[in-house]
Amino acid sequence: MFALPQKNFRAPTTCLGPTCTQDMDRSHGDDLEGECSRKLDQKLPGVGDPVMLSSDTSYLSSRGRMIKWFWDLAEEGYRTYHMDEYDEDKNPSLSQSDMQWVEPSLLQYPDWRGHLFLREEVAKFLTFYCKSPVPLRPENVVVLNGGASLFSALATVLCEVGEAFLIPTPYYGAITQHVCLYGNVRLAYVYLDSEVTGLDTRPFQLTVEKLETALREAYSEGVRVKGLILINPQNPLGDVYSTEELQEYLVFAKRHKLHVIVDEVYMLSVFEESVGYHSVLSLERLPDPQRTHVMWATSKDFGMSGLRFATLYTENKDVATAVASLCRYHGLSGLVQYQMAQLLRDRDWINQVYLPENHARLKAAHTYVSEELRALGIPFLSRGAGFFIWVDLRKYLPKGTFEEEMLLWRRFLDNKVLLSFGKAFECKEPGWFRFVFSDQAHRLRLGMQRVRQVLTGKSQVAEDPHPSQTQKPSDQCR
Amino acid sequence: MSENRYGGAGQPAGASTDTWSISPWSDTHPVPSGQVLRDQSIYTQLLEMMLHLRQTMSEHFVQLMSRQGLLQEQRHTEAIREQEALLDRLLCQMINLLQSGAMSGLELQVPLPSEDSRGDVRYGQGTQLSGQPDPVSQLSDCEAAFVSRDLSNRGIDISALYQSKSQGYNAYQKDKYHKDKNTLGFINLGTSENKLCIDLMTERLLESDMNCIEEGLLQYADWRGQPFLREEVARFLTYYCRAPAPLDPENVVVLNGCCSVFSVLAMVLCDPGEAFLIPTPFYGGFAFSSRLYAKVELIPVHLESTITAINTYPFQLTVDKLEEALLEARLEGKNIRGLVLTNPQNPLGDIYSPDSLMKYLEFAKRYDLHVIIDEIYMLSVFDESITFHSVLSMKSLPDRNRTHVIWGTSKDFGISGFRFGALYTHNKEVASAVSAFSFLHSISGIAQHKLCQLLQNTEWIDKVYLPTYRFRLRKAHKYVTAKLKSLEIPFHNRSSGLYVWINLKKYLDPCTFEEEQLLYRRFLDHKLLLSCGKAYMCKEPGWFRLVFADELPRLKLGMRRFCDVLEEQKQDLRVKQLKPPASQPASCSGTP
Repeated sequence: MFALPQKNFRAPTTCLGPTCTQDMDRSHGDDLEGECSRKLDQKLPGVGDPVMLSSDTSYLSSRGRMIKWFWDLAEEGYRTYHMDEYDEDKNPSLSQSDMQWVEPSLLQYPDWRGHLFLREEVAKFLTFYCKSPVPLRPENVVVLNGGASLFSALATVLCEVGEAFLIPTPYYGAITQHVCLYGNVRLAYVYLDSEVTGLDTRPFQLTVEKLETALREAYSEGVRVKGLILINPQNPLGDVYSTEELQEYLVFAKRHKLHVIVDEVYMLSVFEESVGYHSVLSLERLPDPQRTHVMWATSKDFGMSGLRFATLYTENKDVATAVASLCRYHGLSGLVQYQMAQLLRDRDWINQVYLPENHARLKAAHTYVSEELRALGIPFLSRGAGFFIWVDLRKYLPKGTFEEEMLLWRRFLDNKVLLSFGKAFECKEPGWFRFVFSDQAHRLRLGMQRVRQVLTGKSQVAEDPHPSQTQKPSDQCR
Repeated sequence: MSENRYGGAGQPAGASTDTWSISPWSDTHPVPSGQVLRDQSIYTQLLEMMLHLRQTMSEHFVQLMSRQGLLQEQRHTEAIREQEALLDRLLCQMINLLQSGAMSGLELQVPLPSEDSRGDVRYGQGTQLSGQPDPVSQLSDCEAAFVSRDLSNRGIDISALYQSKSQGYNAYQKDKYHKDKNTLGFINLGTSENKLCIDLMTERLLESDMNCIEEGLLQYADWRGQPFLREEVARFLTYYCRAPAPLDPENVVVLNGCCSVFSVLAMVLCDPGEAFLIPTPFYGGFAFSSRLYAKVELIPVHLESTITAINTYPFQLTVDKLEEALLEARLEGKNIRGLVLTNPQNPLGDIYSPDSLMKYLEFAKRYDLHVIIDEIYMLSVFDESITFHSVLSMKSLPDRNRTHVIWGTSKDFGISGFRFGALYTHNKEVASAVSAFSFLHSISGIAQHKLCQLLQNTEWIDKVYLPTYRFRLRKAHKYVTAKLKSLEIPFHNRSSGLYVWINLKKYLDPCTFEEEQLLYRRFLDHKLLLSCGKAYMCKEPGWFRLVFADELPRLKLGMRRFCDVLEEQKQDLRVKQLKPPASQPASCSGTP
């Protein structure tokens, strides 16, 4: 999303922090791969660093130069984001005394899959929360330092260079970078759209037919597809797949001998009970258990992205072993592993304190934002899972182009509110934005005020070349 | 207890069935060929084990009979389980012995030290691989056996590479020595881990300043590392590397381990197929790290142990040798992008003098090479008469934009489980390219806080930690070298690191890498893990690295096993030399 010609864009350094941003990493490097290949030759100014502006990039290999380019773009967004950080209530569990423990084995080289005590705890945890019909086994668990690492490792061990994963769009765009950086693996898009046609019952519905079409297209272009990535609950749609749907996708994958990576990182962030979320691990029988790989992490469900913990669950011993072979490079500290195990073990706290509270807060925030949107007459999607609402701002674009989408996004940014635009999720239709609502009330209010400010000032904007500077914040106060 | 570990101990019956199927020892009991009894001592050991086994079994039966005895139900089952585990282990040991005797000619023979490790070996070959050859041949060569239809070729490559490099280590992980619980377990004098100061570190890490949970630590952070940690690393390195000017936190990137730092540097400095120069013997992890993701080749600069006109001391690195290797590689069409140096040296324990360091750097500058200097043993210099000079202490670097320094806490503080490694580079481009990978190699915010606290407290480090650590290193070094001297084993290292580089050539006949490997196996069979020279790409067979940074009781036991193995090896050599060459078992020369 920072892949625009950078002329006028500086990271705001003197402003109030942007809001609605804690999910930023998800836009880190969004869409970078495509942009990268298109614009690599274009000289891009770095972020106020004269060295980066210099043309002397001889220190790096060509691979290194491309990588650095990724980073410079991402860092720009990162700086913006870090002007003001998400501020959630402390996780009380982590500071309790049972969390502090040091023993020799925690300080030494571990089993690279993760300490056994943690893998046991993860297996129990997933058995319980994924409602697995049989107890899950610790030997099928591999623990890594974050979901990004896990995507990267899976891509590396499942695909050859240049092969691809199918992924329905819109999707969490950073996956592009995760599978590309080390793995050199591409994504083949299954484009979904908002229009409900044919047998579809809802917008952006994934069907086997669409999967088949995308697969055929990829093959006809000579792209070898190795697997399918599903995010459930979905990001950015905030929707979940029904058991039947899941089953169909899995059967499709089996038919074509595709691996399925199911990213369930928002598994416990389903705050509307009516949604009826089902983990893939809850299925009675997996069509192809050897090719079904499940991911989960604490970064979303426990709001601890800084802890760096993700886990793979796969019955495929070869895949587990191959991923574990990479864990020397993606391991997490023994002391943190201990804390993770303690946290996951504390079922009472999770069930009785954390989850109800977290869900209540998510629900309140969701209600607030969706009411605001309704008041503005803005259509949106979100059924009650995840941290975000997928907002349709198409009517605010003078023309239905991604350039206009980008201009609108820039206008939000000028007004110190950072949203993610649809292009970053490889959405087919320009004009969709992802609003993250899992923020504290006062900040959310401020964010929504600014959104309203930008959108209601829209007609004015069309004529005024400098819209954001002419806004008077006081106009918008309620 | 180890209940249900890998599904092994939970079902000892099933586990032992497997054992039986792996090696039908009822067959080997009457001895399949003459080869087994080639070695008398194996036979006696086997007998001893059989006796032990019989005794354990009878105890087991007594235990089973006394069901309604005084023992409470739980303790009863626990005791039974322990005995079953012991039985299982004994069976494995016997199989090991049988295999080491019967199949000592096999190139790669996986030891089966315990139910756990065996479980793990099997687990690499899951049941879904129905088309696999029988378990014995699988076990005898992991690399070849690791075939999977689910993995990509590189996935298979990665697994195989990893498995072949860490067989011994994995065996150790599953069957560690413990002074009460597992006296027959592995002693690891192979992995360079500093276990001398666990007491101090534990104490330090339990202090109250270490525990801090704040939002900042739990949320996504600066991918290069939290600013507070990078500042602390810069300060720390300025102080301990004696930098002439304060180092800049902006030049620091923090990742989860030095191997990650090296791997990423290889990624960003080289394109696939390009290469680094590296003097041998060198730490084998470099080879793994450069190949794994980056596909970068390491071109060895071979050093020799003998002292000659150009070699004023063993394994001396000279600019001539560097130049020669470089030009030779270039002739072969290799694109050399850099030079990798480890200082203090691993496995030699040598320290480069400022003069020679400067020469290497100038050489690199002359040829536009990057220099990656790994100073991970920087604080582990235990000889007080020797001063370590970090490359960061130099007044002016010949080519500061191509000089990249790696340091971590794994060795100097003995906390390899912490996963922390830092890069210091003046080159902003390199720093920012490395940062692009940091989200794949990041450290938990909580761990970053602890590391920061640790590095901050220089008073504790200077007054408590380092003096104790170095004193203990000296003591352990003295103990081990005295033993080596008494065995008349030549060794290298008087000053730094956690290891000595020892020469066991006289125990090899013929002196080949195959024999070196066999000796390595023999150490493994005696539950002693060492590293052999081949793993360090040493040109001459017969060198081993022996790590001494362990608690004295364990070290003593390790050295006892070491002596036993060498004694046994000596016996073997004698027998071998007595026999006329024709009747020699073909096993050694027959395998490649």
